[in-house]
Amino acid sequence: MISRLDYKVPGGKLLRVEVEVESGVVLRALVRGDFFAHPEECFEAAEGELAGLPVDRLAEAALSLFSRPPLSIFGASAADIALALGRTAHETQAH
Amino acid sequence: MKLRLIDSGPASSGPINMGIDEAILGSVSSRRSPPTLRLYRWAPPCVTVGYFQSLEAEVDIEACRSFGVDAVRRLTGGGAVFHDAEITYSLVVPLGHELAPADILESYRRICAGLVRGLALLGIEASFEPINDVAAGGKKVSGNAQTRRQGCLLQHGTVLLDLDPERMFSLLRVPAEKLKGRLIEDVKARVTSMRALLGRELPYDEAADALRRGFAEAWGASYGIELENAALSEAEAGRASALAAERFASKEWNCRR
Repeated sequence: MISRLDYKVPGGKLLRVEVEVESGVVLRALVRGDFFAHPEECFEAAEGELAGLPVDRLAEAALSLFSRPPLSIFGASAADIALALGRTAHETQAH
Repeated sequence: MKLRLIDSGPASSGPINMGIDEAILGSVSSRRSPPTLRLYRWAPPCVTVGYFQSLEAEVDIEACRSFGVDAVRRLTGGGAVFHDAEITYSLVVPLGHELAPADILESYRRICAGLVRGLALLGIEASFEPINDVAAGGKKVSGNAQTRRQGCLLQHGTVLLDLDPERMFSLLRVPAEKLKGRLIEDVKARVTSMRALLGRELPYDEAADALRRGFAEAWGASYGIELENAALSEAEAGRASALAAERFASKEWNCRR
Protein backbone atom coordinates (compact mmCIF):
# COMPACT_ATOMS: atom_id res chain seq x y z
CA MET A 1 0.00 0.00 0.00
CA ILE A 2 1.45 3.33 -1.12
CA SER A 3 0.28 6.62 0.35
CA ARG A 4 1.28 10.13 -0.67
CA LEU A 5 0.89 13.48 1.04
CA ASP A 6 1.86 17.07 0.22
CA TYR A 7 2.57 19.06 3.35
CA LYS A 8 3.33 22.78 3.15
CA VAL A 9 5.53 23.69 6.10
CA PRO A 10 4.13 26.86 7.68
CA GLY A 11 6.51 29.63 6.58
CA GLY A 12 8.67 27.03 4.84
CA LYS A 13 8.89 24.75 1.85
CA LEU A 14 6.64 22.02 0.41
CA LEU A 15 7.24 18.43 1.52
CA ARG A 16 5.95 15.76 -0.88
CA VAL A 17 6.03 12.52 1.03
CA GLU A 18 5.49 8.96 -0.15
CA VAL A 19 5.34 5.90 2.12
CA GLU A 20 4.98 2.30 1.04
CA VAL A 21 3.88 -0.15 3.72
CA GLU A 22 3.31 -3.89 3.69
CA SER A 23 2.12 -5.93 6.68
CA GLY A 24 2.83 -3.07 9.07
CA VAL A 25 6.43 -2.60 7.85
CA VAL A 26 7.76 0.41 5.92
CA LEU A 27 9.14 -0.79 2.60
CA ARG A 28 10.11 2.70 1.42
CA ALA A 29 9.72 6.26 2.64
CA LEU A 30 10.56 9.13 0.31
CA VAL A 31 10.74 12.78 1.33
CA ARG A 32 10.79 14.98 -1.75
CA GLY A 33 10.37 18.72 -2.01
CA ASP A 34 11.90 22.14 -2.58
CA PHE A 35 13.81 22.23 0.72
CA PHE A 36 17.60 22.26 1.20
CA ALA A 37 19.53 19.67 3.19
CA HIS A 38 23.28 19.62 3.84
CA PRO A 39 25.01 17.30 3.26
CA GLU A 40 22.49 15.87 0.79
CA GLU A 41 23.84 12.34 1.22
CA CYS A 42 23.11 12.44 4.98
CA PHE A 43 19.49 13.24 4.21
CA GLU A 44 19.27 10.32 1.80
CA ALA A 45 20.99 8.03 4.30
CA ALA A 46 18.41 8.98 6.96
CA GLU A 47 15.64 8.40 4.44
CA GLY A 48 17.09 4.97 3.61
CA GLU A 49 17.14 3.95 7.27
CA LEU A 50 13.36 4.34 7.49
CA ALA A 51 12.87 1.23 5.37
CA GLY A 52 12.25 -1.87 7.46
CA LEU A 53 10.81 -0.01 10.46
CA PRO A 54 7.42 -0.92 11.94
CA VAL A 55 5.04 1.68 10.53
CA ASP A 56 3.94 2.86 13.96
CA ARG A 57 7.54 3.83 14.76
CA LEU A 58 8.09 5.77 11.52
CA ALA A 59 7.43 9.30 12.83
CA GLU A 60 9.46 8.81 16.01
CA ALA A 61 12.39 7.33 14.07
CA ALA A 62 12.24 10.10 11.44
CA LEU A 63 12.41 12.78 14.14
CA SER A 64 15.58 11.22 15.47
CA LEU A 65 17.20 10.35 12.10
CA PHE A 66 16.60 13.75 10.48
CA SER A 67 17.92 15.55 13.60
CA ARG A 68 21.23 13.66 13.47
CA PRO A 69 24.33 15.84 12.99
CA PRO A 70 25.87 16.90 10.69
CA LEU A 71 22.57 17.04 8.77
CA SER A 72 20.99 20.49 8.61
CA ILE A 73 17.75 21.14 6.80
CA PHE A 74 16.45 24.52 5.59
CA GLY A 75 12.80 25.20 4.80
CA ALA A 76 11.57 22.30 6.94
CA SER A 77 12.54 20.76 10.28
CA ALA A 78 12.96 17.15 11.35
CA ALA A 79 9.70 17.63 13.27
CA ASP A 80 7.93 18.76 10.06
CA ILE A 81 9.25 15.73 8.19
CA ALA A 82 8.25 13.40 11.05
CA LEU A 83 4.75 14.93 11.08
CA ALA A 84 4.32 14.52 7.31
CA LEU A 85 5.62 10.94 7.37
CA GLY A 86 3.47 10.08 10.39
CA ARG A 87 0.33 11.37 8.70
CA THR A 88 1.16 9.53 5.49
CA ALA A 89 1.86 6.32 7.39
CA HIS A 90 -1.46 6.74 9.20
CA GLU A 91 -3.18 6.91 5.79
CA THR A 92 -1.69 3.55 4.83
CA GLN A 93 -3.14 2.06 8.03
CA ALA A 94 -6.58 3.57 7.57
CA HIS A 95 -7.24 1.37 4.53
CA MET B 1 42.39 37.61 -2.91
CA LYS B 2 41.63 36.78 -6.54
CA LEU B 3 38.51 35.16 -7.93
CA ARG B 4 38.44 33.85 -11.49
CA LEU B 5 35.57 35.38 -13.47
CA ILE B 6 34.21 33.43 -16.42
CA ASP B 7 31.66 35.03 -18.69
CA SER B 8 30.33 32.09 -20.62
CA GLY B 9 29.19 34.29 -23.50
CA PRO B 10 26.90 32.33 -25.81
CA ALA B 11 24.08 30.45 -24.12
CA SER B 12 24.37 26.71 -23.41
CA SER B 13 21.95 23.86 -22.83
CA GLY B 14 20.78 22.85 -19.36
CA PRO B 15 22.93 19.69 -19.18
CA ILE B 16 26.02 21.64 -20.32
CA ASN B 17 25.42 24.47 -17.85
CA MET B 18 25.01 22.04 -14.96
CA GLY B 19 27.99 20.06 -16.24
CA ILE B 20 30.18 23.19 -16.30
CA ASP B 21 29.18 24.10 -12.74
CA GLU B 22 30.09 20.61 -11.52
CA ALA B 23 33.33 20.56 -13.54
CA ILE B 24 34.38 23.83 -11.89
CA LEU B 25 33.47 22.34 -8.51
CA GLY B 26 35.83 19.44 -9.23
CA SER B 27 38.72 21.59 -10.43
CA VAL B 28 38.45 24.08 -7.55
CA SER B 29 38.21 21.16 -5.13
CA SER B 30 41.43 19.62 -6.47
CA ARG B 31 43.11 23.08 -6.49
CA ARG B 32 43.66 22.91 -10.25
CA SER B 33 41.54 26.06 -10.61
CA PRO B 34 41.12 29.10 -8.39
CA PRO B 35 37.79 30.03 -6.77
CA THR B 36 35.47 30.90 -9.64
CA LEU B 37 32.46 33.07 -10.44
CA ARG B 38 30.68 32.32 -13.72
CA LEU B 39 27.93 34.24 -15.52
CA TYR B 40 25.78 32.37 -18.03
CA ARG B 41 22.50 31.91 -19.85
CA TRP B 42 20.43 29.09 -21.31
CA ALA B 43 19.53 27.94 -24.85
CA PRO B 44 17.27 26.18 -25.33
CA PRO B 45 15.26 27.31 -22.30
CA CYS B 46 15.39 24.80 -19.45
CA VAL B 47 13.37 23.76 -16.43
CA THR B 48 15.55 22.67 -13.53
CA VAL B 49 14.29 20.98 -10.40
CA GLY B 50 15.92 20.82 -6.98
CA TYR B 51 18.02 17.85 -5.86
CA PHE B 52 15.25 16.54 -3.58
CA GLN B 53 12.42 16.98 -6.06
CA SER B 54 10.96 14.42 -8.42
CA LEU B 55 11.42 15.66 -11.99
CA GLU B 56 8.48 13.56 -13.17
CA ALA B 57 6.21 14.94 -10.42
CA GLU B 58 7.18 18.58 -10.99
CA VAL B 59 7.68 18.84 -14.75
CA ASP B 60 5.45 18.03 -17.73
CA ILE B 61 8.19 16.28 -19.68
CA GLU B 62 6.02 15.82 -22.77
CA ALA B 63 5.22 19.55 -22.84
CA CYS B 64 8.92 20.38 -22.48
CA ARG B 65 9.72 18.07 -25.40
CA SER B 66 7.07 19.63 -27.62
CA PHE B 67 8.22 23.19 -26.80
CA GLY B 68 11.92 22.27 -27.17
CA VAL B 69 12.67 22.95 -23.51
CA ASP B 70 15.28 20.93 -21.55
CA ALA B 71 14.50 19.46 -18.14
CA VAL B 72 17.34 18.77 -15.69
CA ARG B 73 17.71 17.92 -12.01
CA ARG B 74 20.22 20.11 -10.19
CA LEU B 75 22.99 19.26 -7.74
CA THR B 76 21.44 21.86 -5.44
CA GLY B 77 18.22 21.80 -3.44
CA GLY B 78 15.33 24.21 -3.81
CA GLY B 79 12.42 24.30 -6.21
CA ALA B 80 11.60 24.10 -9.90
CA VAL B 81 12.89 27.01 -12.00
CA PHE B 82 12.14 27.93 -15.62
CA HIS B 83 15.35 29.36 -17.09
CA ASP B 84 14.63 31.57 -20.07
CA ALA B 85 14.78 35.37 -19.86
CA GLU B 86 17.30 35.54 -17.05
CA ILE B 87 20.95 35.86 -16.12
CA THR B 88 22.46 33.07 -14.06
CA TYR B 89 25.64 32.97 -11.98
CA SER B 90 27.50 30.20 -10.26
CA LEU B 91 30.15 30.53 -7.58
CA VAL B 92 32.58 27.85 -6.43
CA VAL B 93 34.88 28.54 -3.48
CA PRO B 94 36.59 26.25 -0.95
CA LEU B 95 34.84 25.89 2.43
CA GLY B 96 36.32 28.38 4.90
CA HIS B 97 36.69 31.05 2.15
CA GLU B 98 35.22 34.43 3.14
CA LEU B 99 32.18 33.64 0.98
CA ALA B 100 31.78 30.14 2.46
CA PRO B 101 31.61 30.45 6.25
CA ALA B 102 30.32 27.45 8.22
CA ASP B 103 26.96 29.19 8.75
CA ILE B 104 25.02 28.41 5.57
CA LEU B 105 22.53 31.29 5.83
CA GLU B 106 25.41 33.69 6.40
CA SER B 107 27.11 32.44 3.23
CA TYR B 108 23.89 33.04 1.24
CA ARG B 109 23.80 36.56 2.69
CA ARG B 110 27.45 37.31 1.81
CA ILE B 111 27.14 35.94 -1.73
CA CYS B 112 23.79 37.61 -2.40
CA ALA B 113 25.25 40.96 -1.27
CA GLY B 114 26.88 41.03 -4.74
CA LEU B 115 23.48 40.67 -6.41
CA VAL B 116 21.98 43.37 -4.18
CA ARG B 117 24.85 45.72 -5.12
CA GLY B 118 24.49 44.86 -8.82
CA LEU B 119 20.79 45.67 -8.74
CA ALA B 120 21.57 48.94 -6.91
CA LEU B 121 23.87 49.88 -9.81
CA LEU B 122 20.84 49.52 -12.07
CA GLY B 123 18.81 51.76 -9.76
CA ILE B 124 16.90 48.96 -8.03
CA GLU B 125 16.77 48.83 -4.25
CA ALA B 126 16.85 45.15 -3.33
CA SER B 127 17.51 43.09 -0.22
CA PHE B 128 18.49 39.55 0.75
CA GLU B 129 15.45 37.61 1.96
CA PRO B 130 16.42 34.43 3.84
CA ILE B 131 16.57 31.56 3.11
CA ASN B 132 17.65 32.01 -0.46
CA ASP B 133 15.98 34.93 -2.24
CA VAL B 134 16.71 38.52 -3.24
CA ALA B 135 13.63 40.75 -3.36
CA ALA B 136 12.83 44.20 -4.68
CA GLY B 137 9.61 46.16 -4.20
CA GLY B 138 8.35 43.35 -1.94
CA LYS B 139 8.69 40.68 -4.63
CA LYS B 140 11.30 38.02 -5.37
CA VAL B 141 13.57 38.86 -8.31
CA SER B 142 16.34 36.33 -7.68
CA GLY B 143 16.43 32.75 -6.39
CA ASN B 144 19.63 31.05 -5.22
CA ALA B 145 20.63 27.51 -4.32
CA GLN B 146 23.71 26.15 -2.60
CA THR B 147 25.37 22.81 -2.07
CA ARG B 148 28.56 21.90 -0.23
CA ARG B 149 30.54 19.02 -1.70
CA GLN B 150 34.15 17.98 -2.14
CA GLY B 151 35.25 20.57 0.40
CA CYS B 152 33.74 23.39 -1.65
CA LEU B 153 30.64 25.54 -1.80
CA LEU B 154 28.75 25.68 -5.10
CA GLN B 155 26.00 28.27 -5.30
CA HIS B 156 24.07 29.16 -8.38
CA GLY B 157 21.28 31.64 -8.77
CA THR B 158 19.30 33.68 -11.22
CA VAL B 159 18.10 37.22 -11.72
CA LEU B 160 14.90 37.35 -13.72
CA LEU B 161 15.08 39.67 -16.70
CA ASP B 162 11.47 38.97 -17.64
CA LEU B 163 8.66 36.84 -16.26
CA ASP B 164 6.17 34.67 -18.14
CA PRO B 165 4.24 32.59 -15.57
CA GLU B 166 1.73 31.36 -18.17
CA ARG B 167 4.58 29.79 -20.16
CA MET B 168 6.21 28.48 -17.00
CA PHE B 169 3.04 26.70 -15.88
CA SER B 170 2.58 25.20 -19.33
CA LEU B 171 5.78 23.25 -18.53
CA LEU B 172 5.16 22.39 -14.88
CA ARG B 173 2.77 19.84 -13.48
CA VAL B 174 0.00 21.36 -11.40
CA PRO B 175 -2.14 19.43 -8.92
CA ALA B 176 -5.28 20.21 -10.90
CA GLU B 177 -5.78 22.09 -14.18
CA LYS B 178 -8.40 24.34 -12.54
CA LEU B 179 -5.75 25.53 -10.04
CA LYS B 180 -3.47 26.78 -12.79
CA GLY B 181 -5.03 30.24 -12.95
CA ARG B 182 -4.61 30.74 -9.23
CA LEU B 183 -0.99 29.54 -9.31
CA ILE B 184 -0.22 31.98 -12.12
CA GLU B 185 -1.80 34.86 -10.15
CA ASP B 186 0.16 33.77 -7.07
CA VAL B 187 3.47 33.93 -8.99
CA LYS B 188 2.54 37.36 -10.38
CA ALA B 189 1.87 38.55 -6.82
CA ARG B 190 5.12 37.15 -5.37
CA VAL B 191 7.68 37.38 -8.18
CA THR B 192 8.93 40.26 -10.31
CA SER B 193 11.49 40.83 -13.06
CA MET B 194 13.98 43.47 -14.09
CA ARG B 195 11.66 44.47 -16.94
CA ALA B 196 8.85 45.18 -14.44
CA LEU B 197 11.17 46.96 -12.00
CA LEU B 198 12.90 49.13 -14.62
CA GLY B 199 9.94 49.63 -16.94
CA ARG B 200 12.12 48.59 -19.90
CA GLU B 201 13.83 45.56 -21.32
CA LEU B 202 17.20 44.87 -19.71
CA PRO B 203 19.53 43.24 -22.26
CA TYR B 204 21.64 40.31 -21.00
CA ASP B 205 24.94 42.15 -21.59
CA GLU B 206 23.85 45.15 -19.52
CA ALA B 207 22.67 42.84 -16.73
CA ALA B 208 25.96 40.88 -16.87
CA ASP B 209 27.96 44.10 -16.64
CA ALA B 210 25.97 45.28 -13.61
CA LEU B 211 26.32 41.93 -11.82
CA ARG B 212 30.06 41.77 -12.52
CA ARG B 213 30.48 45.24 -11.02
CA GLY B 214 28.07 44.44 -8.17
CA PHE B 215 29.97 41.30 -7.13
CA ALA B 216 33.33 43.10 -7.51
CA GLU B 217 32.24 46.09 -5.41
CA ALA B 218 30.42 44.20 -2.65
CA TRP B 219 33.01 41.44 -2.24
CA GLY B 220 35.92 43.84 -2.83
CA ALA B 221 34.79 46.21 -0.07
CA SER B 222 33.98 43.48 2.47
CA TYR B 223 36.62 40.81 1.78
CA GLY B 224 39.26 42.35 -0.50
CA ILE B 225 38.22 40.04 -3.36
CA GLU B 226 39.32 40.98 -6.90
CA LEU B 227 37.71 39.48 -10.01
CA GLU B 228 40.05 38.43 -12.79
CA ASN B 229 38.72 37.55 -16.24
CA ALA B 230 39.60 34.07 -17.45
CA ALA B 231 38.20 31.22 -19.46
CA LEU B 232 37.20 27.68 -18.60
CA SER B 233 40.24 25.39 -18.88
CA GLU B 234 40.28 22.73 -21.59
CA ALA B 235 40.13 20.04 -18.91
CA GLU B 236 37.06 21.69 -17.36
CA ALA B 237 35.33 22.00 -20.72
CA GLY B 238 35.99 18.32 -21.45
CA ARG B 239 34.78 17.24 -18.03
CA ALA B 240 31.67 19.44 -18.41
CA SER B 241 30.75 17.73 -21.71
CA ALA B 242 31.20 14.31 -20.12
CA LEU B 243 29.09 15.27 -17.08
CA ALA B 244 26.41 16.74 -19.35
CA ALA B 245 26.12 13.50 -21.30
CA GLU B 246 26.61 10.99 -18.50
CA ARG B 247 24.75 12.72 -15.70
CA PHE B 248 22.62 15.75 -16.54
CA ALA B 249 21.13 14.37 -19.77
CA SER B 250 20.57 10.94 -18.25
CA LYS B 251 17.25 9.60 -17.03
CA GLU B 252 19.11 7.81 -14.26
CA TRP B 253 20.14 11.14 -12.68
CA ASN B 254 17.20 13.30 -13.65
CA CYS B 255 14.54 10.83 -12.54
CA ARG B 256 16.38 9.35 -9.57
CA ARG B 257 13.94 10.77 -6.99
